[in-house]
Amino acid sequence: MADVVSKSPTPTSNLISPNKKETSNLLLGRFEIGKLLGHGTFAKVYYARNIKTGEGVAIKVIDKEKILKGGLVAHIKREISILRRVRHPNIVQLFEVMATKSKIYFVMEYVRGGELFNKVAKGRLKEEVARKYFQQLISAVGFCHARGVYHRDLKPENLLLDENGNLKVSDFGLSAVSDQIRQDGLFHTFCGTPAYVAPEVLARKGYDGAKVDLWSCGVVLFVLMAGYLPFHDQNVMAMYKKIYRGEFRCPRWFSPDLSRLLTRLLDTKPETRIAIPEIMENKWFKKGFKQIKFYVEDDRLCNVVDDDGLMDNDDDTASIVSVASFSDYSVSESDSEIETRRRINAPLPRPPSLNAFDIISFSPGFNLSGLFEEKEDETRFVTAAPVNRIISKLEEIAQLVRFSVRKKDCRVSLEGTREGVRGPLTIAAEIFELTPSLVVVEVKKKGGDRAEYERFCNDELKPGLQNLMVEESATSSELSTPIQPSLLRGLSEPVPDISSDIETPLCIPSDD
Amino acid sequence: MGCYCSTSKKTEAQGYEEPTVLASVTPCEYHDPSLNVTVSEVEALHELYKKLSNSIIEDGLIHREEFQLALFRNKNKKNLFADRIFDLFDLKRNGVIEFGEFVRSLGVFHPNAALEDKITFAFRLYDLRQTGFIEREELKEMVLALLHESDLELSDDMIETIVDKTFSDADINGDGRIDQDEWKAFVSKHPSLIKNMTLPYLKDITLAFPSFVTGTDIEESEM
Repeated sequence: MADVVSKSPTPTSNLISPNKKETSNLLLGRFEIGKLLGHGTFAKVYYARNIKTGEGVAIKVIDKEKILKGGLVAHIKREISILRRVRHPNIVQLFEVMATKSKIYFVMEYVRGGELFNKVAKGRLKEEVARKYFQQLISAVGFCHARGVYHRDLKPENLLLDENGNLKVSDFGLSAVSDQIRQDGLFHTFCGTPAYVAPEVLARKGYDGAKVDLWSCGVVLFVLMAGYLPFHDQNVMAMYKKIYRGEFRCPRWFSPDLSRLLTRLLDTKPETRIAIPEIMENKWFKKGFKQIKFYVEDDRLCNVVDDDGLMDNDDDTASIVSVASFSDYSVSESDSEIETRRRINAPLPRPPSLNAFDIISFSPGFNLSGLFEEKEDETRFVTAAPVNRIISKLEEIAQLVRFSVRKKDCRVSLEGTREGVRGPLTIAAEIFELTPSLVVVEVKKKGGDRAEYERFCNDELKPGLQNLMVEESATSSELSTPIQPSLLRGLSEPVPDISSDIETPLCIPSDD
Repeated sequence: MGCYCSTSKKTEAQGYEEPTVLASVTPCEYHDPSLNVTVSEVEALHELYKKLSNSIIEDGLIHREEFQLALFRNKNKKNLFADRIFDLFDLKRNGVIEFGEFVRSLGVFHPNAALEDKITFAFRLYDLRQTGFIEREELKEMVLALLHESDLELSDDMIETIVDKTFSDADINGDGRIDQDEWKAFVSKHPSLIKNMTLPYLKDITLAFPSFVTGTDIEESEM
């Protein structure tokens, strides 16, 4: 979104001169307003700085009267609710929404690296560079599509680069209010032209948002690799015709694999146009592709490899166990021999001990998240099994479903290897000592699809850990009655879905 | 300034308070009054409040059953801890949570709220008999309640051991009860104890309940 980019290298220089009356440029009591970054039919976008934190943000100011006239109110409310769930490293984040009698304010992430297409202005990109950006674009688009959010207006101004050169897509889900937001820069001539628009949209037919976005991604990929548009003509009507017919030519420097992919992306028939899962399997696309593994915790995007040092490979105590490592043990070894070997190889420290207040805090009555969202993605089990048996069992479960395992002390991370559009399922398990011979295993979803997590818990994790509990509970003298092979009841009961105030929300799974 | 409903409706909702007033009195981050919950956050919370307060009895007040229904999807589920939270939210002690009480109490759970406020709230939560101390019997009662609701039965000896161990760690002066200062020291050693005192959802409440954007009558000058 051009609207979140400042051309100025030092954002502070965008701020209105402090000589002016201070209150006049303090927005909502918290933001010092800087220069105008872009404007359109409904909105103006400003650079702003949070006066308390010093953080730079972009604020989109929407004229309420205009959206009321345009009948876009319900649309905006629904899309705000959905965008709350869209957190991805390659998507510009919407932080908060504020409103007054006449205006609506979107406070968004400020992206300081400029537009991607400024790079193309200097000449077409090398294939591996273009591929990296396209991979990031497809990751972002796929992530949103999986949550029922479509862009519908992918164009140069909406593709930004952060300070590390990573792509950020802006205006996801806000297409209704993002029309024609302009900013000085390359390809201005194409703003408002059909250059990036799918033929079915130009035909004013009903269209599939996902397929429309993929057409635009195809045009973007072509421009990155060629340095010019696939469908271009000085005459707009002639351009329309080229788009309708899908008339474009790949330059000679395009590899056959790339040309084939573009032919599938720029297919004028939406029903045969390539879809995200197929792109993910495409030979040209897959080259060097690494799915980003991340999750949201404490309102921050966390990379899976940075999980509290759990994945810190510099640490000698951290070990990465791939699925293949299970077959390293020879068939002749007994379970106890494997157990002994594991103990020798990785001596486990005693798990952190739970005090009475920790135990009390497990109560769902203390968990007020039920007021805000459907349910927490965590489960707890109690078992009398020793820690190394639990970890072995988790490894065993992981092997069955082809997950990789990372361990550090009494923490285990299970990572799915299947590269879905929502990213691989990532689960963290931590073991705590309840009594000298009882432990609590706390399991949390860190990344991936909630439905997949629930399936994994119900079909693999619970049965596996329950077997362990049955085996071990009979031996524990601290239980007045043997533990039933079940999880701590009440710790993961569903609560009403009042996660949004939209009357008829789109059917989207609520996995963050 | 009819933020959410018409004037006539507003008189019906007994506990209603103006968002601008609530935003200026809700504690948030280091007791700095300029870092209060924003007016828009208060308005978004009202959208949530309306939903909760009309789920069983349509009177614009949150009754105990409505609170339980929201937490457990079961209005009859008895839970000691949910009851304690309800009682602490019910500042006027009149058996219902009014909108002002809802916002003021949830303010403590905001990610930016002062740590001290969170520690104090947790202390009051565990001080079942409101004596100004957490007593051994109260702690044992809470552990038993948790074990009961979790279908987990530990031997009496084990329960005593857990309670004794915790008490000996927390009760620094050895008088058989935990006072506010001892609790503060104990939490600083075990910060996870107040993990439940922070609700990340409050940070993006305006995105979760955006209906307020069309109904607000707040003027720019009041922000």
